[in-house]
Amino acid sequence: MSRISTPDQSLIDRLGLDDTEAFEELYRHYWHSLYRYSVRKLQSPIDAKKIVRTIFIDLWEQRHSLPVSFSLSQHLYAEVRKEVVKSLSEKLEEPGTHEIFEKRFEQEFSVESLLAARKPISGKYTVINTPSELIRQQSGQNGLAAQTTLSTVKWLLQSFTNKLSLINLLSYPKN
Amino acid sequence: MKSEILHRKLQRYINGESHPAETRQIQTWLSCTSSEEQLTPEERSLLELEILQEIQAYTAYPLFYPKKEKPWWQKITTLF
Repeated sequence: MSRISTPDQSLIDRLGLDDTEAFEELYRHYWHSLYRYSVRKLQSPIDAKKIVRTIFIDLWEQRHSLPVSFSLSQHLYAEVRKEVVKSLSEKLEEPGTHEIFEKRFEQEFSVESLLAARKPISGKYTVINTPSELIRQQSGQNGLAAQTTLSTVKWLLQSFTNKLSLINLLSYPKN
Repeated sequence: MKSEILHRKLQRYINGESHPAETRQIQTWLSCTSSEEQLTPEERSLLELEILQEIQAYTAYPLFYPKKEKPWWQKITTLF
């Protein structure tokens, strides 16, 4: 059981040739994100499991008719959303489920909640544009003055360059 | 939102008959991923195997496309 990930396209090509290992590799790569998303949306691990199973069964059955420029991630993204909506609609058809869902969806479909989806994702990662910005950020994190960090970086770069030139001198003897 | 209203909206969405505003509302809801569900590594690998086995049972692909036996030198190299 190999855990080394191969680019999707080559796995999809192999899938078209009935390669079960490629299929399992794709499954191992994507199943968890699909499962996690479905659980979040449906609050039901059983339904989430069913969705993951359906998506991969369909993928296996359609393996010979996948388009040339097929993007698996886009396909899975569209499929999981479609299946979530279908599953939710089926759940709402069941008698006695209305009260359970009513409170939840009142909150989830409120304008405030939906507006949150339109906000840009704020994470711990920041985009660093210039080296000086990087130095300023590093100084802030380590509690050092920007000038100290800058001189340390300069010194490190200088010693690295010196070492490189020494290696160059030693490895290429002059004729 | 009332469940009946949501159900009708979802039905229209599935059939491709929903209004643009409804489509946008459902798609925005689908894009909202706030709460986090965490699985332990053991639970995760167990579930991974469980779902895979269900897929295998449904499609029966291991029966029609059995895995090829690896040559002996490949078996040895995987040990290192």
